[in-house]
Amino acid sequence: MNEPGVIAITGLRTFLGGQLAERLLRRSPSPRIVGFDRRRPPGIDPRVRFHAIDLTAADAAAELAGQLENEGVEVLVHTAFRTDPTADLALDRALETDGSLRVVDACVEARVSRLVLASSTMLYGPWPDNPNFLTEEHPLRGHPDAHAVANRIETESLINDCARRRPQLEMTVLRSCWVLGPRFDDRVSRYLSLPVVPKLLGYDPLMQFVHEDDYLNAFERATLESHPGVFNIVGRGTLPLATLLRLGGRRSIALPSRLLYRMAYYPGPRRTGDPPAAFYDYLRYLWVADGARGWDAFGEPVYSTRETWVEFMSARRSRSAG
Amino acid sequence: MSGDRREKEAADELRRVLAHLRDEIRSRFPVAAVAEPTESAVDLEGLWNSARRRLGTIGMSEHSAEVDEFGMDDEALRRVEPLLDFLAERFWRVDLRGLANLPAEGPCLLVANRAGLLPWDGLMLAHVLKRALPDRERPRFLVADSGMQWPFVHATIAQLGGVRSCVENAERLLAAGRIAIAFPEGAQGATKAWPDRYRLQSFTHDGVVRLALASGVPLIPVGIVGAEEVHPLMAKLKGPARRVGLPFVPVTPTFPLLGLLGLLPLPSKWLMWIGEPVSLDHPGADADPLAVAREEDAVRSKIAELVERALAQRESIWG
Repeated sequence: MNEPGVIAITGLRTFLGGQLAERLLRRSPSPRIVGFDRRRPPGIDPRVRFHAIDLTAADAAAELAGQLENEGVEVLVHTAFRTDPTADLALDRALETDGSLRVVDACVEARVSRLVLASSTMLYGPWPDNPNFLTEEHPLRGHPDAHAVANRIETESLINDCARRRPQLEMTVLRSCWVLGPRFDDRVSRYLSLPVVPKLLGYDPLMQFVHEDDYLNAFERATLESHPGVFNIVGRGTLPLATLLRLGGRRSIALPSRLLYRMAYYPGPRRTGDPPAAFYDYLRYLWVADGARGWDAFGEPVYSTRETWVEFMSARRSRSAG
Repeated sequence: MSGDRREKEAADELRRVLAHLRDEIRSRFPVAAVAEPTESAVDLEGLWNSARRRLGTIGMSEHSAEVDEFGMDDEALRRVEPLLDFLAERFWRVDLRGLANLPAEGPCLLVANRAGLLPWDGLMLAHVLKRALPDRERPRFLVADSGMQWPFVHATIAQLGGVRSCVENAERLLAAGRIAIAFPEGAQGATKAWPDRYRLQSFTHDGVVRLALASGVPLIPVGIVGAEEVHPLMAKLKGPARRVGLPFVPVTPTFPLLGLLGLLPLPSKWLMWIGEPVSLDHPGADADPLAVAREEDAVRSKIAELVERALAQRESIWG
């Protein structure tokens, strides 16, 4: 298949959706970008053909299908997911699980040929019995307390099931690990920027990050080229959390898990509707993914985990200084 | 100078966080505002410094900036090298035999008997092999699940080259051309009581034979004698263990009698005997379970034989 001429992006207001649209428009010749979100993102490139749509509405599928058909969309990138889970569990589910199914429905209806789905290696879950490197075939076990992760696992399996029944729709799932970079902002980067980073006493798991540029690059390649299947999108190399914090000159305080899980209701990544374990267990047990398949398909990442971390820390420092 | 400044900044940061916390509490519980101390009576700087010293340095503050993909830390290893040398040469006087049975190059799977709650045997075997074969990459030892889940222990074992025992990890090590050391008895081997010492437990289902077949690497049995006497397990106390979240509290001649001092290993005499590679007759990943079971039994009896031979060589436990 040649490079697609018309590309749709759902979730244009997310970091991934907005940045990917800009990246694609910078190409020459640039493809036509059709963007969807609930509200128009401020400062979006005027070349993006924007349509407001609410994926939680019951008639969203028909509406989306109509617009995809009108625009002649060939590839759809589905990024309409919460960057951070919210306390509104029902809304999160309506958007992520039900909304995704409506998107797939619309893609089938409008004969879109490829669907690129943004996912996360968090879906594998932090478990003491994880192998050191999780391949794409590893079962998605999630975390018993993390409702957003549970939603995404359900979404992925439902979408996979739909795609299996409809071979005309090509599916690419990109599971990325935690993204860091000068511009990307989520609860992970906020946690790592706390004046004193709380961590678990006695645990020091190997961590893995992907730089925002490598992350966007993988999505760009997955949008333009045909790579059916599931891919882990991660940086090369791993480092223990304590080493990372020391490298970045961060102050940290190690607390026993029971104390931290009680305290974490206060300063940490709060208001997610989940108990703190849903976040802190990801800093307790190993959940490093094997990126070989993704590197083969989308090219060698520019930044290793270590370089990603250093770049992130220096960007944070200059931001707080300026 | 800059150290002092950093300390001061840290104290300021802590003060800010505490002030923020106080405001938050006050806004939620207006009553608390009544009992407001006018001046900070606590020496925050001193408090911060002592807290940092205590919490920051337990077990794992010393890290190098690089680890390998399984978390092995060359810097930390270099630092404990003298201790490992002391243990191998003076303390346990490890006697390594049958080195010629190891293939000169390429990956291989060493399969040994397991003993003792802490994986001293894996650590020692990897260490003496590395010293005997300085040109090769450090052999990596697999550690059963239970040992890799304890706080502190896990991070330290990973730093020193231990890898959580599972098929995926072992395959990865062998695919990278490394020597992997497996203990197929798993946790059962580590928790044998004293009367059962040197009696090989049944293999766990992870299957060393299947692994060797799938990876196409030679399987080499190893008998280890000495590790059983390091922490002789006389009884398992199950009652008090539940409180601290352990499967049982071990009772050894020195623990808990001597308190933490009792956790120190005893100076038994060690022998490690590397046997001849087992020739596997049924190559291929898709092996018949019956054939695999038969090979497993053969491997088991080979290890038992090596252990017997090593025991016969040793004059006494301490000798």
